[in-house]
Amino acid sequence: MLNNKNIYKPIRAKLTNVIDESQLIKTFVLVPEDKFSFKTGQFIELSVDGIGEAPFTPSSSPLVTEKLEVTVMKTGYVTEYMHMLKPGVEMGIRGPYGRGYPVEKFFGKEVLILGGGCGLAPIRSLLYALEDIKDRLVKVILCYGSKTPADCIYKPLFDRLNSTEKFEAHRTVDKADEDWDGSVGVATTLLNKIRINIENSVAVVCGPPIMMKFGAIRLLEMGYKDDQIYLSMEKNMSCGLGKCGHCMMGEFFVCKDGPVFTYDEIKHNPEIWR
Amino acid sequence: MKLTKDELKNIGFFDNYNDEQLKIFIGISSIKEFKVKDILFEQYDELSDVYVLLSGCLSLGISLAKEKRIRLGTLEEGQLFSWSAVFSPYISTAWVMATCPTKVLAIDAKKLNLEFEKNCEFGFKTMSKIAQTISHRLSDTRFQLMNQLTL
Repeated sequence: MLNNKNIYKPIRAKLTNVIDESQLIKTFVLVPEDKFSFKTGQFIELSVDGIGEAPFTPSSSPLVTEKLEVTVMKTGYVTEYMHMLKPGVEMGIRGPYGRGYPVEKFFGKEVLILGGGCGLAPIRSLLYALEDIKDRLVKVILCYGSKTPADCIYKPLFDRLNSTEKFEAHRTVDKADEDWDGSVGVATTLLNKIRINIENSVAVVCGPPIMMKFGAIRLLEMGYKDDQIYLSMEKNMSCGLGKCGHCMMGEFFVCKDGPVFTYDEIKHNPEIWR
Repeated sequence: MKLTKDELKNIGFFDNYNDEQLKIFIGISSIKEFKVKDILFEQYDELSDVYVLLSGCLSLGISLAKEKRIRLGTLEEGQLFSWSAVFSPYISTAWVMATCPTKVLAIDAKKLNLEFEKNCEFGFKTMSKIAQTISHRLSDTRFQLMNQLTL
């Protein structure tokens, strides 16, 4: 359900904190004027007055309605401007939009989450949601890859998950530095180290398109069925309402029908990995 | 030092082997231990053993020159490596170095090839697993390359 009374008009939110996650990634802590609800995996349109708006999936817990955290990678005009913002300014929020993760379908299962780069932002929100229902899950395994140790975001998250019952978290980097003594290699190499009952499991993939492609292929090789794999697609969502067509992927509007799809739903689409 | 059948069953690579097949591995393998910075083998070395990482940590990479090592990745427990020992010309395509105290299972590659000839089912199963290892390594390398190209 939308939090905005007028679907085109953003609600106001005060930026209360900006957290540096890496050289290119910051987390913005926002306090909306009214309580803001969303389902994990849904996205919002976040705007800067006079500059523009861009789509983001919140990285905070869907159980918290008083504040919202959005993790933003500096990639273009709007995000570059956002990175210059200081606490105290007001921003606009529209949404939430689309279809998030169907966490109720994960009950009684093992959940494997494969993430890369800034894809950890939506995953963090999912992890908060899964922690809340952990009594109804068998286990949750996170495999995350970043380009370098410095590019890894939410570093304390990994220790916290590894000390949480039913959760385990693994990290790797494409390129190590002198201080790094963990795994080296792309995110999919972490799948060599996990033990999971694939038949009773679902897999979630979220990250850059290249990682999504190689990740989905590896999961299929491991024995996952098409409908056991959930992909969080990023396709330049703009209006959020299935009107403007910017995010069309075949017969789907990613903003309305997604952004979370099963691989089964979109595997025949030639634009899936573009 | 040898592993038992039950110990082998707990190692990722040996999933789906029956007791008779595990006995073959036990008969042609031994445990080797390495210290930090020990080189298991260099790129272009002639190889005689196929290894499975039992415990510890190993880095794998290529060399541009003798002093210039490029680390491409790490190996995980239960993973097979040094697969070139099974295929002609039996020359390694990468170096492998221990980065912490490490134990590996060293399987005599010549004896393994002889077992493949004697026991086709065992040979097919093992070769399929080795092919999968190589396929994953190739796929991961492509992924790594794409990451570099899109930096």
